[in-house]
Amino acid sequence: MSLPPVIAIDNGGGNCKIGMAGQAAPTKVFPNASAKPKGERGALIADLLADSKEVSQLTLRRPVDRGYLCNLELQREIWSRGIRALLRRQPGECGLLLSEPLFNFEEIRSNTQQVVFEEMGFRSFYAAPAPVFSMHRAAGLLGASSPAARTGAGVIVDAGFSFTHIVPFFKGQVLEGGVRRINLGGKLMTNYLKELVSYRSLNMMDETYLMDSVKEQLCFVSQNVKADLKAAQNLARSPHRREFVLPDGVNNLRGYVRDPAAWAEKVQAIKDAVRAAESMDEKRRLASQMEADQVLVLNNERFMVPELLFHPDDVGLHQAGVAEATVQAVTATHAALAPLLYSNVVLTGGIASCPGFRDRFTTELRALVPDDHDLNVFQPQDPALFAWEGMSVFGSSRSYSSVALTKAQYEEGGGWAAHRQYS
Amino acid sequence: MAPKPGGNAPNRRALRERKVSQRMAVVDDATRQQAAQARLDALENDNDQTADPFGLASDDDEFNLEDEDEEEEIGGKKGKRKKSGVKRKLRNAASDRRGPKNFARILDEAELDRLPPGKPSYLTAAARPSTTSAARKFCSVCGNTSGYTCARCGSRYCCRKCYTVHTETRCLKFTV
Repeated sequence: MSLPPVIAIDNGGGNCKIGMAGQAAPTKVFPNASAKPKGERGALIADLLADSKEVSQLTLRRPVDRGYLCNLELQREIWSRGIRALLRRQPGECGLLLSEPLFNFEEIRSNTQQVVFEEMGFRSFYAAPAPVFSMHRAAGLLGASSPAARTGAGVIVDAGFSFTHIVPFFKGQVLEGGVRRINLGGKLMTNYLKELVSYRSLNMMDETYLMDSVKEQLCFVSQNVKADLKAAQNLARSPHRREFVLPDGVNNLRGYVRDPAAWAEKVQAIKDAVRAAESMDEKRRLASQMEADQVLVLNNERFMVPELLFHPDDVGLHQAGVAEATVQAVTATHAALAPLLYSNVVLTGGIASCPGFRDRFTTELRALVPDDHDLNVFQPQDPALFAWEGMSVFGSSRSYSSVALTKAQYEEGGGWAAHRQYS
Repeated sequence: MAPKPGGNAPNRRALRERKVSQRMAVVDDATRQQAAQARLDALENDNDQTADPFGLASDDDEFNLEDEDEEEEIGGKKGKRKKSGVKRKLRNAASDRRGPKNFARILDEAELDRLPPGKPSYLTAAARPSTTSAARKFCSVCGNTSGYTCARCGSRYCCRKCYTVHTETRCLKFTV
Protein backbone atom coordinates (compact mmCIF):
# COMPACT_ATOMS: atom_id res chain seq x y z
CA MET A 1 0.00 0.00 0.00
CA SER A 2 1.41 3.35 -0.95
CA LEU A 3 1.46 6.08 1.60
CA PRO A 4 -1.18 8.79 1.26
CA PRO A 5 0.06 12.31 0.55
CA VAL A 6 0.59 14.22 3.76
CA ILE A 7 0.28 17.95 4.17
CA ALA A 8 2.76 19.35 6.66
CA ILE A 9 1.85 22.59 8.40
CA ASP A 10 4.20 24.19 10.88
CA ASN A 11 1.60 26.39 12.47
CA GLY A 12 3.64 29.09 14.11
CA GLY A 13 2.16 32.06 15.87
CA GLY A 14 3.79 34.39 13.38
CA ASN A 15 4.25 32.52 10.15
CA CYS A 16 2.45 29.46 8.91
CA LYS A 17 4.74 27.15 6.96
CA ILE A 18 2.81 24.93 4.58
CA GLY A 19 3.86 22.29 2.10
CA MET A 20 3.63 18.64 1.11
CA ALA A 21 5.63 16.20 3.19
CA GLY A 22 8.65 15.02 1.24
CA GLN A 23 9.45 18.39 -0.27
CA ALA A 24 12.76 20.01 0.55
CA ALA A 25 11.19 23.33 1.47
CA PRO A 26 7.67 24.50 2.27
CA THR A 27 5.57 25.57 -0.69
CA LYS A 28 4.75 28.81 0.98
CA VAL A 29 5.44 30.72 4.17
CA PHE A 30 2.82 33.30 5.01
CA PRO A 31 1.80 35.29 8.06
CA ASN A 32 -0.60 33.33 10.21
CA ALA A 33 -3.10 36.13 10.42
CA SER A 34 -5.95 37.82 8.71
CA ALA A 35 -5.29 41.43 7.83
CA LYS A 36 -7.85 44.06 7.16
CA PRO A 37 -6.65 47.12 5.26
CA LYS A 38 -7.94 50.32 6.73
CA GLY A 39 -11.23 51.45 5.28
CA GLU A 40 -11.96 48.17 3.52
CA ARG A 41 -14.36 45.51 4.59
CA GLY A 42 -12.72 42.32 3.44
CA ALA A 43 -9.69 40.80 5.09
CA LEU A 44 -6.64 39.28 3.45
CA ILE A 45 -5.45 35.87 4.50
CA ALA A 46 -2.70 33.39 3.69
CA ASP A 47 -0.99 33.95 0.32
CA LEU A 48 -3.13 37.00 -0.39
CA LEU A 49 -1.54 38.66 2.61
CA ALA A 50 1.97 37.42 1.90
CA ASP A 51 1.80 38.74 -1.68
CA SER A 52 -0.15 41.84 -0.81
CA LYS A 53 1.43 45.02 -2.04
CA GLU A 54 -0.16 47.09 0.65
CA VAL A 55 1.62 46.79 3.98
CA SER A 56 0.63 49.90 5.84
CA GLN A 57 -2.36 50.35 8.08
CA LEU A 58 -3.23 46.68 8.29
CA THR A 59 -5.30 45.50 11.20
CA LEU A 60 -4.07 42.04 12.08
CA ARG A 61 -6.06 39.34 13.74
CA ARG A 62 -4.18 36.22 14.75
CA PRO A 63 -5.64 32.80 15.51
CA VAL A 64 -2.77 32.11 17.89
CA ASP A 65 -2.71 33.84 21.25
CA ARG A 66 0.44 33.52 23.35
CA GLY A 67 1.47 30.53 21.30
CA TYR A 68 -1.74 28.57 21.67
CA LEU A 69 -4.36 28.07 19.03
CA CYS A 70 -7.28 30.02 20.44
CA ASN A 71 -9.28 31.04 17.40
CA LEU A 72 -9.85 27.86 15.43
CA GLU A 73 -12.50 29.42 13.24
CA LEU A 74 -10.00 31.84 11.77
CA GLN A 75 -7.31 29.19 11.65
CA ARG A 76 -9.52 26.87 9.64
CA GLU A 77 -10.10 29.60 7.05
CA ILE A 78 -6.38 30.19 6.76
CA TRP A 79 -5.60 26.48 6.42
CA SER A 80 -8.36 25.96 3.88
CA ARG A 81 -7.10 28.82 1.77
CA GLY A 82 -3.52 27.55 2.02
CA ILE A 83 -4.41 23.99 1.10
CA ARG A 84 -6.82 24.73 -1.73
CA ALA A 85 -5.11 27.71 -3.32
CA LEU A 86 -1.44 26.99 -2.71
CA LEU A 87 -1.15 23.22 -2.58
CA ARG A 88 -4.17 22.57 -4.80
CA ARG A 89 -5.24 19.58 -2.76
CA GLN A 90 -8.43 18.40 -1.18
CA PRO A 91 -8.24 17.58 2.53
CA GLY A 92 -10.25 14.43 1.86
CA GLU A 93 -7.37 12.79 0.03
CA CYS A 94 -4.56 13.80 2.37
CA GLY A 95 -3.24 13.30 5.85
CA LEU A 96 -2.31 16.27 8.01
CA LEU A 97 0.83 16.68 10.03
CA LEU A 98 0.65 19.66 12.32
CA SER A 99 2.93 21.30 14.84
CA GLU A 100 1.50 22.32 18.19
CA PRO A 101 2.94 24.11 21.20
CA LEU A 102 4.40 22.16 24.08
CA PHE A 103 1.97 21.38 26.88
CA ASN A 104 -0.92 21.98 24.55
CA PHE A 105 -4.25 22.07 26.35
CA GLU A 106 -6.66 19.17 26.07
CA GLU A 107 -9.40 21.54 25.11
CA ILE A 108 -7.46 22.94 22.18
CA ARG A 109 -6.36 19.48 21.15
CA SER A 110 -9.83 18.02 20.96
CA ASN A 111 -11.18 21.10 19.20
CA THR A 112 -8.38 20.88 16.67
CA GLN A 113 -9.21 17.24 16.00
CA GLN A 114 -12.81 18.17 15.55
CA VAL A 115 -11.93 20.78 12.96
CA VAL A 116 -9.45 18.54 11.20
CA PHE A 117 -11.71 15.51 10.89
CA GLU A 118 -15.27 16.75 11.02
CA GLU A 119 -15.06 20.09 9.28
CA MET A 120 -12.11 19.72 6.96
CA GLY A 121 -12.34 15.95 6.52
CA PHE A 122 -8.68 14.90 6.53
CA ARG A 123 -7.94 11.20 6.25
CA SER A 124 -5.43 11.09 9.06
CA PHE A 125 -3.90 13.48 11.53
CA TYR A 126 -0.93 13.76 13.81
CA ALA A 127 0.32 16.69 15.86
CA ALA A 128 3.45 17.09 17.92
CA PRO A 129 5.44 20.06 19.23
CA ALA A 130 7.66 21.76 16.67
CA PRO A 131 10.89 21.09 18.66
CA VAL A 132 10.21 17.35 18.30
CA PHE A 133 10.43 17.71 14.53
CA SER A 134 13.50 19.93 14.83
CA MET A 135 15.17 17.23 16.88
CA HIS A 136 14.14 14.65 14.31
CA ARG A 137 15.74 16.75 11.60
CA ALA A 138 18.89 17.45 13.61
CA ALA A 139 19.31 13.74 14.31
CA GLY A 140 18.94 13.06 10.61
CA LEU A 141 21.63 15.59 9.75
CA LEU A 142 24.09 14.47 12.41
CA GLY A 143 23.80 10.74 11.80
CA ALA A 144 25.71 8.80 14.45
CA SER A 145 28.76 11.03 14.49
CA SER A 146 28.83 11.90 18.18
CA PRO A 147 27.73 10.37 21.50
CA ALA A 148 24.89 12.89 21.68
CA ALA A 149 23.64 11.92 18.23
CA ARG A 150 23.84 8.20 19.07
CA THR A 151 21.79 8.62 22.25
CA GLY A 152 19.32 11.06 20.74
CA ALA A 153 20.29 13.73 23.25
CA GLY A 154 20.24 17.44 22.69
CA VAL A 155 18.64 20.74 23.46
CA ILE A 156 16.40 22.54 21.02
CA VAL A 157 16.17 26.27 21.56
CA ASP A 158 13.08 27.40 19.72
CA ALA A 159 12.94 31.19 19.66
CA GLY A 160 9.64 31.79 17.98
CA PHE A 161 7.06 34.45 17.53
CA SER A 162 5.02 33.89 20.67
CA PHE A 163 7.57 32.60 23.10
CA THR A 164 10.90 30.90 23.43
CA HIS A 165 11.12 27.27 24.42
CA ILE A 166 14.16 25.37 25.56
CA VAL A 167 13.53 21.68 25.19
CA PRO A 168 15.95 18.99 26.33
CA PHE A 169 15.80 15.59 24.62
CA PHE A 170 17.11 12.16 25.48
CA LYS A 171 16.65 9.07 23.33
CA GLY A 172 14.64 11.28 21.01
CA GLN A 173 12.06 11.91 23.73
CA VAL A 174 11.18 15.27 25.25
CA LEU A 175 12.30 15.47 28.86
CA GLU A 176 9.20 17.30 29.94
CA GLY A 177 10.46 18.17 33.39
CA GLY A 178 13.28 20.14 31.84
CA VAL A 179 11.32 22.21 29.37
CA ARG A 180 11.67 25.92 30.03
CA ARG A 181 9.74 28.72 28.47
CA ILE A 182 10.50 32.43 28.28
CA ASN A 183 7.32 34.36 27.67
CA LEU A 184 8.93 36.50 25.09
CA GLY A 185 9.12 36.15 21.35
CA GLY A 186 9.04 38.00 18.09
CA LYS A 187 5.62 39.43 18.69
CA LEU A 188 6.63 41.14 21.88
CA MET A 189 9.76 42.39 20.17
CA THR A 190 7.81 43.89 17.28
CA ASN A 191 5.44 45.55 19.67
CA TYR A 192 8.32 46.81 21.78
CA LEU A 193 10.02 48.23 18.71
CA LYS A 194 6.75 49.83 17.73
CA GLU A 195 6.42 51.37 21.16
CA LEU A 196 9.98 52.70 21.21
CA VAL A 197 9.77 54.19 17.75
CA SER A 198 6.37 55.71 18.40
CA TYR A 199 7.61 57.33 21.56
CA ARG A 200 10.87 58.58 20.16
CA SER A 201 10.12 59.57 16.59
CA LEU A 202 7.08 58.68 14.49
CA ASN A 203 3.82 57.18 15.62
CA MET A 204 3.81 53.66 14.21
CA MET A 205 1.36 52.11 16.61
CA ASP A 206 -0.98 51.08 13.78
CA GLU A 207 1.78 49.65 11.62
CA THR A 208 2.38 46.25 13.18
CA TYR A 209 2.89 44.50 9.88
CA LEU A 210 5.29 47.11 8.59
CA MET A 211 7.28 47.18 11.82
CA ASP A 212 7.56 43.44 11.65
CA SER A 213 9.42 43.77 8.39
CA VAL A 214 11.50 46.67 9.72
CA LYS A 215 12.51 44.45 12.60
CA GLU A 216 13.47 41.61 10.31
CA GLN A 217 15.54 43.87 8.09
CA LEU A 218 17.31 45.98 10.65
CA CYS A 219 17.54 44.31 14.03
CA PHE A 220 20.67 42.52 15.13
CA VAL A 221 22.05 41.03 18.31
CA SER A 222 24.83 43.08 19.81
CA GLN A 223 27.98 41.31 20.98
CA ASN A 224 28.83 44.06 23.42
CA VAL A 225 25.85 46.11 24.47
CA LYS A 226 27.69 48.69 26.52
CA ALA A 227 30.11 49.54 23.75
CA ASP A 228 27.39 49.62 21.12
CA LEU A 229 25.21 51.86 23.26
CA LYS A 230 28.10 54.21 23.77
CA ALA A 231 28.82 54.30 20.07
CA ALA A 232 25.17 54.99 19.36
CA GLN A 233 24.90 57.83 21.83
CA ASN A 234 25.52 60.53 19.28
CA LEU A 235 22.85 60.00 16.66
CA ALA A 236 24.67 61.85 13.90
CA ARG A 237 27.87 59.83 14.27
CA SER A 238 26.39 56.53 15.32
CA PRO A 239 27.57 53.55 13.28
CA HIS A 240 24.25 51.84 14.02
CA ARG A 241 22.09 54.57 12.58
CA ARG A 242 19.91 53.35 9.72
CA GLU A 243 17.20 55.06 7.79
CA PHE A 244 14.10 53.22 6.75
CA VAL A 245 12.06 54.89 4.06
CA LEU A 246 8.40 54.41 4.87
CA PRO A 247 5.98 53.40 2.16
CA ASP A 248 4.25 56.33 0.52
CA GLY A 249 1.58 54.23 -1.11
CA VAL A 250 2.47 55.32 -4.66
CA ASN A 251 5.96 54.43 -5.82
CA ASN A 252 7.18 52.67 -2.75
CA LEU A 253 4.70 50.22 -1.31
CA ARG A 254 6.71 48.16 1.14
CA GLY A 255 9.32 50.57 2.40
CA TYR A 256 13.05 49.96 2.18
CA VAL A 257 16.29 50.58 4.02
CA ARG A 258 18.10 53.55 2.57
CA ASP A 259 21.66 52.89 1.58
CA PRO A 260 23.67 55.72 3.20
CA ALA A 261 26.31 55.95 0.45
CA ALA A 262 23.81 56.03 -2.40
CA TRP A 263 21.70 58.55 -0.54
CA ALA A 264 24.68 60.82 0.13
CA GLU A 265 25.44 60.78 -3.59
CA LYS A 266 21.87 61.62 -4.40
CA VAL A 267 21.84 64.48 -1.92
CA GLN A 268 25.02 65.83 -3.48
CA ALA A 269 23.50 65.59 -6.95
CA ILE A 270 20.40 67.43 -5.82
CA LYS A 271 22.52 70.13 -4.19
CA ASP A 272 24.47 70.61 -7.38
CA ALA A 273 21.28 70.81 -9.37
CA VAL A 274 19.90 73.40 -6.98
CA ARG A 275 23.03 75.48 -7.35
CA ALA A 276 22.82 75.25 -11.11
CA ALA A 277 19.12 76.02 -11.26
CA GLU A 278 18.17 79.45 -12.51
CA SER A 279 14.89 80.48 -10.99
CA MET A 280 13.97 80.44 -7.33
CA ASP A 281 10.95 78.22 -7.99
CA GLU A 282 13.13 75.69 -9.73
CA LYS A 283 15.50 75.67 -6.75
CA ARG A 284 12.64 75.07 -4.35
CA ARG A 285 11.22 72.29 -6.46
CA LEU A 286 14.57 70.51 -6.60
CA ALA A 287 15.30 70.99 -2.93
CA SER A 288 11.94 69.49 -1.99
CA GLN A 289 13.14 66.18 -3.44
CA MET A 290 15.35 65.75 -0.43
CA GLU A 291 12.41 65.92 1.93
CA ALA A 292 10.05 63.90 -0.20
CA ASP A 293 10.38 60.59 1.62
CA GLN A 294 9.20 60.00 5.13
CA VAL A 295 12.08 58.42 6.94
CA LEU A 296 12.18 56.45 10.13
CA VAL A 297 15.54 56.66 11.82
CA LEU A 298 16.58 53.72 13.95
CA ASN A 299 19.59 53.78 16.17
CA ASN A 300 20.01 51.87 19.42
CA GLU A 301 16.58 50.29 18.93
CA ARG A 302 18.20 48.02 16.38
CA PHE A 303 20.03 46.00 19.01
CA MET A 304 18.12 46.86 22.17
CA VAL A 305 15.05 45.04 20.85
CA PRO A 306 16.61 41.58 20.29
CA GLU A 307 18.48 42.23 23.52
CA LEU A 308 15.24 41.47 25.36
CA LEU A 309 15.67 37.78 24.74
CA PHE A 310 18.97 37.79 26.61
CA HIS A 311 17.73 40.07 29.37
CA PRO A 312 13.93 39.91 29.68
CA ASP A 313 14.38 42.03 32.80
CA ASP A 314 14.88 45.02 30.49
CA VAL A 315 11.18 45.11 29.78
CA GLY A 316 10.11 44.09 33.28
CA LEU A 317 9.69 40.39 32.64
CA HIS A 318 11.31 38.62 35.56
CA GLN A 319 12.67 35.59 33.78
CA ALA A 320 16.16 34.49 32.93
CA GLY A 321 17.58 35.23 29.50
CA VAL A 322 17.78 32.53 26.85
CA ALA A 323 21.28 31.37 27.77
CA GLU A 324 20.60 31.07 31.47
CA ALA A 325 17.24 29.44 30.79
CA THR A 326 19.11 26.82 28.78
CA VAL A 327 21.20 26.09 31.86
CA GLN A 328 18.02 25.91 33.94
CA ALA A 329 16.56 23.43 31.47
CA VAL A 330 19.61 21.20 31.49
CA THR A 331 20.05 21.26 35.27
CA ALA A 332 16.41 20.29 35.69
CA THR A 333 17.18 16.97 33.98
CA HIS A 334 19.49 14.25 35.28
CA ALA A 335 22.98 15.51 36.10
CA ALA A 336 24.61 12.75 34.06
CA LEU A 337 22.93 14.03 30.92
CA ALA A 338 24.44 17.51 31.11
CA PRO A 339 27.59 16.78 29.04
CA LEU A 340 25.53 15.10 26.33
CA LEU A 341 22.93 17.85 26.22
CA TYR A 342 25.44 20.68 26.06
CA SER A 343 27.27 18.98 23.24
CA ASN A 344 24.24 19.27 20.99
CA VAL A 345 22.40 22.58 21.25
CA VAL A 346 20.34 23.51 18.20
CA LEU A 347 19.00 27.00 17.58
CA THR A 348 15.71 27.17 15.71
CA GLY A 349 12.85 29.60 15.26
CA GLY A 350 12.61 32.90 13.45
CA ILE A 351 14.46 34.96 16.05
CA ALA A 352 17.50 32.69 15.83
CA SER A 353 18.15 33.99 12.32
CA CYS A 354 18.73 37.48 13.71
CA PRO A 355 22.35 38.36 12.86
CA GLY A 356 24.71 37.75 15.76
CA PHE A 357 22.28 35.60 17.72
CA ARG A 358 24.36 32.44 17.61
CA ASP A 359 27.61 34.14 18.62
CA ARG A 360 26.08 35.98 21.51
CA PHE A 361 24.20 32.92 22.69
CA THR A 362 27.34 30.79 22.55
CA THR A 363 29.40 33.37 24.43
CA GLU A 364 26.82 33.73 27.17
CA LEU A 365 26.17 30.02 27.49
CA ARG A 366 29.88 29.15 27.51
CA ALA A 367 30.33 31.38 30.52
CA LEU A 368 27.63 29.49 32.39
CA VAL A 369 28.51 25.92 31.43
CA PRO A 370 31.23 24.10 33.42
CA ASP A 371 34.40 24.23 31.37
CA ASP A 372 34.95 20.48 31.25
CA HIS A 373 31.76 20.13 29.24
CA ASP A 374 31.93 20.45 25.48
CA LEU A 375 29.56 23.00 24.07
CA ASN A 376 28.36 22.75 20.50
CA VAL A 377 25.83 25.21 19.26
CA PHE A 378 24.44 24.37 15.89
CA GLN A 379 22.45 26.81 13.85
CA PRO A 380 20.81 25.48 10.71
CA GLN A 381 20.82 27.35 7.43
CA ASP A 382 17.32 28.64 7.94
CA PRO A 383 16.32 28.27 11.60
CA ALA A 384 12.74 29.33 10.91
CA LEU A 385 12.13 26.47 8.48
CA PHE A 386 14.09 23.82 10.35
CA ALA A 387 11.09 22.39 12.15
CA TRP A 388 9.15 22.25 8.90
CA GLU A 389 11.97 20.33 7.25
CA GLY A 390 11.78 17.83 10.07
CA MET A 391 8.05 17.58 9.56
CA SER A 392 8.56 16.98 5.87
CA VAL A 393 10.90 14.08 6.56
CA PHE A 394 8.67 12.66 9.27
CA GLY A 395 5.47 13.04 7.26
CA SER A 396 6.82 11.19 4.27
CA SER A 397 8.17 8.28 6.32
CA ARG A 398 6.33 5.21 7.52
CA SER A 399 6.52 6.45 11.11
CA TYR A 400 3.80 8.95 10.27
CA SER A 401 1.28 6.30 9.38
CA SER A 402 2.17 4.27 12.45
CA VAL A 403 1.36 7.10 14.87
CA ALA A 404 -1.28 9.09 13.00
CA LEU A 405 -4.90 8.88 13.96
CA THR A 406 -7.09 7.92 11.03
CA LYS A 407 -10.52 9.31 10.37
CA ALA A 408 -12.10 5.90 11.00
CA GLN A 409 -10.38 5.62 14.38
CA TYR A 410 -11.50 9.10 15.30
CA GLU A 411 -15.07 8.41 14.37
CA GLU A 412 -15.03 5.21 16.32
CA GLY A 413 -13.30 6.22 19.49
CA GLY A 414 -12.99 9.99 19.57
CA GLY A 415 -9.70 11.63 20.40
CA TRP A 416 -6.60 9.65 21.09
CA ALA A 417 -4.84 12.41 22.94
CA ALA A 418 -4.90 10.48 26.19
CA HIS A 419 -2.73 7.59 25.07
CA ARG A 420 -0.24 9.29 22.85
CA GLN A 421 3.51 9.51 22.99
CA TYR A 422 5.72 12.03 21.28
CA SER A 423 8.15 10.21 19.11
CA MET B 1 -10.41 91.51 48.74
CA ALA B 2 -9.03 91.09 52.22
CA PRO B 3 -9.14 87.56 53.57
CA LYS B 4 -11.37 86.97 56.49
CA PRO B 5 -9.45 85.79 59.50
CA GLY B 6 -11.52 82.71 60.26
CA GLY B 7 -13.68 81.67 57.30
CA ASN B 8 -11.63 80.96 54.18
CA ALA B 9 -8.22 80.04 55.51
CA PRO B 10 -8.68 76.35 56.46
CA ASN B 11 -10.34 75.65 53.15
CA ARG B 12 -7.58 77.26 51.20
CA ARG B 13 -4.94 75.34 53.11
CA ALA B 14 -6.71 72.11 52.41
CA LEU B 15 -6.72 72.89 48.70
CA ARG B 16 -3.07 73.70 48.72
CA GLU B 17 -2.20 70.53 50.60
CA ARG B 18 -4.11 68.45 48.14
CA LYS B 19 -2.34 70.00 45.18
CA VAL B 20 1.06 69.46 46.67
CA SER B 21 0.40 65.94 47.68
CA GLN B 22 -0.86 65.04 44.21
CA ARG B 23 2.22 66.36 42.56
CA MET B 24 4.60 64.80 45.02
CA ALA B 25 2.78 61.53 45.44
CA VAL B 26 5.09 58.63 45.07
CA VAL B 27 3.59 55.68 43.29
CA ASP B 28 3.95 52.68 45.53
CA ASP B 29 5.57 49.40 44.60
CA ALA B 30 2.37 47.48 44.05
CA THR B 31 1.08 50.00 41.54
CA ARG B 32 4.42 50.09 39.78
CA GLN B 33 4.33 46.34 39.41
CA GLN B 34 0.78 46.51 38.16
CA ALA B 35 1.79 49.07 35.57
CA ALA B 36 4.72 46.89 34.48
CA GLN B 37 2.46 43.86 34.13
CA ALA B 38 -0.11 45.83 32.19
CA ARG B 39 2.63 46.96 29.85
CA LEU B 40 3.82 43.40 29.30
CA ASP B 41 0.29 42.32 28.50
CA ALA B 42 -0.10 45.21 26.11
CA LEU B 43 3.05 44.14 24.32
CA GLU B 44 1.41 40.79 23.52
CA ASN B 45 -1.63 42.39 21.92
CA ASP B 46 -2.51 42.48 18.27
CA ASN B 47 -3.41 45.83 16.85
CA ASP B 48 -6.98 44.68 16.34
CA GLN B 49 -9.14 47.14 18.24
CA THR B 50 -12.32 45.17 17.74
CA ALA B 51 -10.92 42.14 19.49
CA ASP B 52 -12.32 41.58 22.91
CA PRO B 53 -9.35 41.55 25.25
CA PHE B 54 -11.13 39.95 28.17
CA GLY B 55 -13.02 37.21 26.38
CA LEU B 56 -16.30 38.57 27.61
CA ALA B 57 -18.06 38.65 24.27
CA SER B 58 -19.99 35.43 24.66
CA ASP B 59 -21.21 36.43 28.11
CA ASP B 60 -22.38 39.74 26.75
CA ASP B 61 -24.23 38.04 23.94
CA GLU B 62 -26.12 35.92 26.33
CA PHE B 63 -26.99 38.91 28.40
CA ASN B 64 -28.40 40.68 25.38
CA LEU B 65 -30.42 37.67 24.36
CA GLU B 66 -31.95 37.48 27.79
CA ASP B 67 -33.13 41.05 27.33
CA GLU B 68 -34.67 40.22 24.01
CA ASP B 69 -36.49 37.38 25.60
CA GLU B 70 -38.07 39.60 28.19
CA GLU B 71 -39.27 42.00 25.55
CA GLU B 72 -40.81 39.09 23.74
CA GLU B 73 -42.80 38.09 26.77
CA ILE B 74 -44.40 41.48 26.79
CA GLY B 75 -45.08 41.21 23.09
CA GLY B 76 -47.21 38.09 23.24
CA LYS B 77 -46.99 34.31 23.15
CA LYS B 78 -46.97 33.67 19.45
CA GLY B 79 -44.01 35.94 18.82
CA LYS B 80 -42.16 34.46 21.72
CA ARG B 81 -42.24 30.92 20.51
CA LYS B 82 -40.88 31.88 17.15
CA LYS B 83 -38.09 33.94 18.62
CA SER B 84 -37.07 31.45 21.22
CA GLY B 85 -36.03 29.06 18.49
CA VAL B 86 -33.77 31.72 17.09
CA LYS B 87 -32.48 32.43 20.53
CA ARG B 88 -31.54 28.86 21.22
CA LYS B 89 -29.66 28.65 18.01
CA LEU B 90 -27.78 31.84 18.76
CA ARG B 91 -26.95 30.76 22.23
CA ASN B 92 -25.59 27.50 20.98
CA ALA B 93 -23.41 29.39 18.58
CA ALA B 94 -22.25 31.69 21.36
CA SER B 95 -21.35 28.90 23.72
CA ASP B 96 -19.88 26.88 20.88
CA ARG B 97 -16.69 25.30 22.07
CA ARG B 98 -14.74 26.80 19.26
CA GLY B 99 -15.81 30.36 19.93
CA PRO B 100 -12.68 32.45 20.19
CA LYS B 101 -11.57 32.31 23.77
CA ASN B 102 -8.54 34.18 24.79
CA PHE B 103 -5.53 32.43 26.18
CA ALA B 104 -6.02 33.53 29.78
CA ARG B 105 -9.43 31.89 29.81
CA ILE B 106 -8.20 28.61 28.37
CA LEU B 107 -5.37 28.55 30.88
CA ASP B 108 -7.81 29.26 33.66
CA GLU B 109 -10.23 26.54 32.61
CA ALA B 110 -7.50 23.93 32.25
CA GLU B 111 -7.05 24.08 36.05
CA LEU B 112 -3.38 23.26 35.87
CA ASP B 113 -2.90 23.99 39.55
CA ARG B 114 -4.89 20.86 40.31
CA LEU B 115 -2.33 18.58 38.71
CA PRO B 116 -0.34 16.38 41.07
CA PRO B 117 2.75 18.24 42.25
CA GLY B 118 5.84 17.53 40.18
CA LYS B 119 3.94 16.87 36.97
CA PRO B 120 5.37 19.09 34.23
CA SER B 121 2.83 21.53 32.83
CA TYR B 122 2.55 24.92 31.24
CA LEU B 123 3.01 26.51 34.64
CA THR B 124 6.12 24.61 35.68
CA ALA B 125 7.81 25.24 32.34
CA ALA B 126 8.15 28.98 32.85
CA ALA B 127 11.79 30.01 33.09
CA ARG B 128 12.78 31.12 36.58
CA PRO B 129 14.11 34.59 37.34
CA SER B 130 17.73 35.14 36.58
CA THR B 131 20.28 34.51 39.31
CA THR B 132 23.43 35.31 37.37
CA SER B 133 22.74 38.82 36.20
CA ALA B 134 21.12 41.85 37.78
CA ALA B 135 18.49 43.89 35.99
CA ARG B 136 20.17 46.46 33.81
CA LYS B 137 19.16 50.07 33.81
CA PHE B 138 18.33 51.95 30.66
CA CYS B 139 16.87 55.35 30.14
CA SER B 140 13.17 55.05 29.43
CA VAL B 141 13.37 57.96 27.03
CA CYS B 142 16.46 57.57 24.88
CA GLY B 143 17.61 54.05 25.74
CA ASN B 144 21.11 54.84 26.94
CA THR B 145 22.50 53.54 30.19
CA SER B 146 20.86 55.52 32.92
CA GLY B 147 21.99 56.62 36.34
CA TYR B 148 18.80 58.02 37.82
CA THR B 149 15.35 56.91 38.83
CA CYS B 150 12.25 59.06 38.67
CA ALA B 151 11.32 59.50 42.31
CA ARG B 152 7.65 59.40 41.48
CA CYS B 153 7.06 56.47 39.19
CA GLY B 154 10.33 54.56 39.28
CA SER B 155 11.19 54.83 35.57
CA ARG B 156 14.79 55.39 34.64
CA TYR B 157 16.30 58.40 32.94
CA CYS B 158 19.81 59.40 32.01
CA CYS B 159 19.98 63.16 31.92
CA ARG B 160 18.05 66.30 32.63
CA LYS B 161 16.79 66.53 29.10
CA CYS B 162 15.34 63.06 29.21
CA TYR B 163 13.88 63.72 32.63
CA THR B 164 11.97 66.71 31.28
CA VAL B 165 10.62 64.61 28.44
CA HIS B 166 9.72 61.87 30.86
CA THR B 167 7.78 64.07 33.28
CA GLU B 168 5.97 65.76 30.44
CA THR B 169 4.87 62.59 28.72
CA ARG B 170 5.11 59.29 30.45
CA CYS B 171 5.32 59.86 34.16
CA LEU B 172 1.65 60.61 34.58
CA LYS B 173 0.46 58.28 31.87
CA PHE B 174 1.98 55.24 33.44
CA THR B 175 0.71 55.85 36.90
CA VAL B 176 -2.78 57.23 36.45
